[in-house]
Formats: sequence, C-alpha cells, structure tokens
Amino acid sequence: MQAKTSLEDFQALVRRAGLTLSPAQIVELHSGWAYIEPMLERIRAHGRGREADLALTFRPDMF
Amino acid sequence: MDQLVVSKNDLAAMTIAEAAVQIRSRELSPVDLAAATFKRIAALDGQLHSHILVLEEAGMAAAKEAEAEIAAGRWRGPLHGMPIGLKDIYGTAGIPTTAHSALLRDHVPTRDAACVTRLRDAGAIFTGKLSTWEFAIGGTSFDLPWPPARNPWNLEYDPSGSSSGSAAAVAAGLCLGAMGSDTGGSIRGPAAWCGIAGLKPTYGLVSKAGVLPLSFSLDHAGPMCWTAEDCALMMQVLAGHDPNDPTSADVALPDFSDMEAPIAGVRVGVVRHFFERDMPCEPDVAAAFEESLRVLRGLGAVVADVVIAPFDDYAAAAGQISRAESYAIHEADLRATPELYGAIFRQRVAAGAFVRGVDYVNAQRARARLVAELAVTMRGVDVLMFPTARKVAPKMAADKSLGGAFYNRAFNLTGSPALSVCNGFSAAGLPIALQIVGRPFEDPLVLRVGAAYERATPWRARRPGV
Repeated sequence: MQAKTSLEDFQALVRRAGLTLSPAQIVELHSGWAYIEPMLERIRAHGRGREADLALTFRPDMF
Repeated sequence: MDQLVVSKNDLAAMTIAEAAVQIRSRELSPVDLAAATFKRIAALDGQLHSHILVLEEAGMAAAKEAEAEIAAGRWRGPLHGMPIGLKDIYGTAGIPTTAHSALLRDHVPTRDAACVTRLRDAGAIFTGKLSTWEFAIGGTSFDLPWPPARNPWNLEYDPSGSSSGSAAAVAAGLCLGAMGSDTGGSIRGPAAWCGIAGLKPTYGLVSKAGVLPLSFSLDHAGPMCWTAEDCALMMQVLAGHDPNDPTSADVALPDFSDMEAPIAGVRVGVVRHFFERDMPCEPDVAAAFEESLRVLRGLGAVVADVVIAPFDDYAAAAGQISRAESYAIHEADLRATPELYGAIFRQRVAAGAFVRGVDYVNAQRARARLVAELAVTMRGVDVLMFPTARKVAPKMAADKSLGGAFYNRAFNLTGSPALSVCNGFSAAGLPIALQIVGRPFEDPLVLRVGAAYERATPWRARRPGV
C-alpha cells in the first residue's frame, strides 16, 4: 500500500513537527502513513452543517 | 516448540469462582495456590514470556497473610487469596512499571494505581507485572528490552495485544485473573486469540488513575479471566467512582452478583454487516458464530440482525482521536529520545504529529453522531453480537501492519461495555471468539449473556495443550 503523500512532502511534515528521525525511521513512518491517510480522508470528507454534531462533551451516561 | 499443558487436576486450571469457594471453606490454602502458581510460572514462562517481573516473594508473603486472615474468620470476598497478574502499565508503588519500554526501564512509581489498591484491599495476591505491547500500542515487537509474549495454544502463534501477557498468563494458568487495558481492543483481541474471557467495561466504570495512559478518551481498564463469571467477580471489586480519575462516572454501581440468571427473552442484535461486508471474516469464524447464535436461541434469546454505521466510520474517528491523544502524551519523548521506543510504536504514535486540530475535532463530532445513532439502535435490542476477530491468531512476526483483524475499536468510541468469549476452535486448534456489546453501565447483562453461553458450550473445559 502506497501513501498518497510523497516521501519528500512527508519529510517536510516530519521537520515541521520537530521530530529528529533518521532517514530509515522516516521511511518506516511514511509506510504506516499509507494506512492512516484513508481514515483521515474519511473524517475530512464527511459533510457536516455548521450547527451539526457538537463535538464535545462525550457523556456515556447521557444515553 | 513444545505445547504447554494445563492438567484438569492442576490448581492452575481452577476458575476464580471455584477457588473462592474452596478457599472460603478452607479446603484450599491460599499459600498452596500461590506456591503452585509461582512454580508454574518458573516452569513455563521461559517459553511463554508473559511476565516482565515475577513478584514471588511479596506474593507468597501476601498469601500467608491471606491464609491467616481466613483462618481467623476474616474472609474478604471471592478475590481473597486469588493469584492476579497486572499488565505492566498499572502503577505499583515501589515496583517497576515499565510499559514494556526501554523509556521506562527504571521507572518505579510511588503510588499504586486505583485498581491495584482495590484488588489488594480485596485480598488479591499479585503474581507479577505482565508483558504488553509497548505503552499498550506498539504491536508484537522484537526490538524491546523484553521479548513479546507468546500464545499458549501454540507458542509459534501471536497472542495479539496489547494485553498480550495478561491473556497468555491467564490462558496458561499462570494466574487466575489479570488486569488488561483496552483503547482499541487491547483486552478483547488477546482474550479472543488466547481463548479466554475479557471485558472492556463501560467507559468511566473502572478507574484509570495510576494506569499509564495511551488515549485519554478511549482508554478503559478491565479484567481478563478464564470465564465471564470470573470477570464479574473481578468487576464487583473494580467498579466504582474514583474522584482521582476525571473520567470516572459517578453512577449507581451495577450489581455483578447474579451470573446464573437465565437469558430467555434477551434481545440479541447481530451486526452482520461488520463481518460479512465491512471487513469479511474467515469461514471458520463465521461458522463458529452461526453455531453460537443457534446455542443462544436454544437458551431463549431472541436473535435478529441489526444495522449500525459501517465499521470504517468508527475506525476512522477512533483512529484520529487515538493518534492525536497518544501523540500529545508522547511528543516530548519522541522528539528528545525517539531511539528509546520500538519501531512499531514510533510508526503508530509519531503519525499523531500530522493529525490537525480540525481533524481531531471532526473525529469527535463524528463520534457524537455515532454514539447517538447507536443509542437509537440499542433501544430495540439488549445486546449486540458479532465475532471478535475476523481470523484466528497468525504466526508470530514483528507486526507492522495497521490493517484490522478485529471488530473492536467501534466500542471504545461509544464507551459501551464489550465482552469477548471463546466460541470454538479452528482446525489447527486455535481459539475463535464472539463479542457481546451492551448499553452503557449494563455490564452485568453483557457478562450474564457470556456466562450463559459458556455454561451451555464445552469450550471452557478445553485448556492449552490438553
């Protein structure tokens, strides 16, 4: 499985996050990103109105 | 490797419920039970790797104390004198708590976790600190200071995780119960692949104070035992409000005492799309599940299919929340000393650096919708049911995949009580499991359905290697 984000773009993300990883560690992280990207897209693609679905607070006792 | 054998006559093959009756009546000595347990750990854990630290000296001292108390007529309850293991993320005062990580190799807490205090007050004997995936997420790893736990049904197979040592130790009879934790299925997954019972309680029902966190809003602490009935005995001690845990629910305590009541009339909603369409399971898993439904119908349960949101909707929201929250916990150490973590942990947690604030908020918004939708569905049924895992345990390997083998994390998102129980074995002799999910704070019903199923089927009589 290949990530849509290129390794070069991903390296920029790693730098911006302040992580000092070795090139091998970045490649390892990038390979895992391929599984995470579709989940992020699923969250981002979901249409929500401005007033819909308050995010917080989670209250299991409010069922 | 050789199979481990648990003899049916072995003290290690007793359940908590059975041992408690004998300890209370003084037919069984807590000292004999503890001695047999530590002897078994010494004999078998060199292959199983379920323990990071064995607490024999303190355990034997506590067993002698329990014996003296019971002889003096001060029996504290069903956990008095019971050998219990602790996943090594549970803080133990004066005893190392490593999270199976080089980062915490020398970490010695000054306080017990709230669960540890409750169990100690109930008279439990702590047998050891148990292996885990690194910080309860890392995966089966071979680059950590201790080896990963193995599956007692076949030592070449994976026990799953993250509560890998807890499940392996209970299944192999190295303790009669253990504490696990579950952020995305870490109690139910290893319970399934090791053929035991594991309960992720309702969010907030069991205190997490003093347990190393992974993801604040998805973490759950809970019991892992040979049977659902034993999980209920542990929950009777573990459940309760704790002002030291800001997520602890201040509600009336559920009563876990009646696990024998019939389940006739209980409405079971089968989430068929989870395992037929969303993430199809293997044929032997599907066959075991359909046979389980037949058993439950025979017990009087009313079984019908229900439809909830697609599994991926839950997984997407839970994944972003978990990544963001776990990165918040580990960011400073990942920046300063990334080499002190294992590769799989880094891969899974460092990705949280790239979850934007808006992604986290929208994942929580998705969560609110999914919780509300599930509440509507559960007005029409008492429990949901589906297989715990889509396949049986694979061979041991450094697990770098982020793909799903389990239908678990949906109910970390909703906070629902969720129990995995063994419902058969594959042709290769590896355990298969089903999952029972209830409404919040209806943990006793979930356990009661699991206990009824276990009593009606032969699976609890089968032990690793027997």
